[in-house]
Amino acid sequence: MGPVPESINRGTEATDGDVVRAVLAGDRERYRVLVERYRRAFGRYAVAVLGDADVAADALQEAFIRAYDALGDCREPDRFRNWFFSILSNQCRSALSRRRSQGDPADLDVPGKERADADAERSELAAALEGALAQLTAEQREAFVLKHVDGRSYEEMADLVGVGVDALKMRVHRAREALRGMLEGLR
Amino acid sequence: MSGDQFTPDAQRYLDGGLHGELPRAEQVSAERLLRAAESYRDSLAAPDASLDDRVMEAVRLRGRRGRRPEVWRWALESRIRPVWVPIAAAAAAIVMWLALPRRGAPPAPPVLAVAQRSDTVFIRFELAAPGAHTATVAGSFNGWDAHALPMVRNTSGTWTVTVALPVGEHQYQFVVDGARWQPDPSAHAQVDDGFGGTNSVIVVGPKGLVRT
Repeated sequence: MGPVPESINRGTEATDGDVVRAVLAGDRERYRVLVERYRRAFGRYAVAVLGDADVAADALQEAFIRAYDALGDCREPDRFRNWFFSILSNQCRSALSRRRSQGDPADLDVPGKERADADAERSELAAALEGALAQLTAEQREAFVLKHVDGRSYEEMADLVGVGVDALKMRVHRAREALRGMLEGLR
Repeated sequence: MSGDQFTPDAQRYLDGGLHGELPRAEQVSAERLLRAAESYRDSLAAPDASLDDRVMEAVRLRGRRGRRPEVWRWALESRIRPVWVPIAAAAAAIVMWLALPRRGAPPAPPVLAVAQRSDTVFIRFELAAPGAHTATVAGSFNGWDAHALPMVRNTSGTWTVTVALPVGEHQYQFVVDGARWQPDPSAHAQVDDGFGGTNSVIVVGPKGLVRT
């Protein structure tokens, strides 16, 4: 199944603004609504950007806690989604920097055989793309993942990231050019 | 076009804005990239609902929202560039010093010394304790309050918390499950706490931890 934008299937659920205001008024348990909503919406993004499910879970967790701590600073509660994404994006970049400073992200935390076994269960192309994404800049990687892994439109990406459509197109185009060479020869 | 560059038509095709044939080499490369992305997407799984429980556990540990002083939450905001933190902390220290009640003549001018001592550096504490239910950090920097700095458990059982600490020497211990005080096994110095236990010691310099 392809990516599902988080705006679908919300039905009559409370809006982000309603939930943020309830939490700020003291109903902290309502925060779970936002956590579940945006774990589903951005979980795969975090895994794709960081290339490791456990590291992604930690980054998401930290982002949700930071967002909770700073919730009073969320000036537009109805745009919590965008505000939270900026926190998560920063968190992912920090996690990536930490991993890069500790060694090759593709080899971190996973013993060789275990990684080989895991890769054998996926297509060669998927494994190659994961390794290739690690070579991109943080901005190119984020843009490529939002466009081609999350399946978002440029307009939606611009709203989320807070960068213009033309700049995002440039990042995606550069990412594709870098990835093209790295995937050459694969079937 | 040669090399690794896609032609403008190929970029439009990949953007979904061109529905036609590309030169064969371009078509093969473009399709390969799209297949790789689709295959990668299908191999990914978003974190499961146990993450929601861990976040809510941390939220409850924090108690009433906004318990931390505003200046503390501001200092921890990720959008603040690290380079500004010592400057901002120094400015805040000067403002606070100026706001202190005065008796008679103003005191000798230790402003520079106050600003110097107020340099603040972010320090990340980590404790591997997979079996613990809660973990906090108590130390000389928070009045040895066993509840002031709750740590957050990650998926591998390591507990972490990031704290803005002033430059200088600090002693601390971890408090596991609300009662078990233990030193940091990874600290580079330990001292007797005077109660039969051991305090861990860190020395924070302007650029991070100082190894002694």
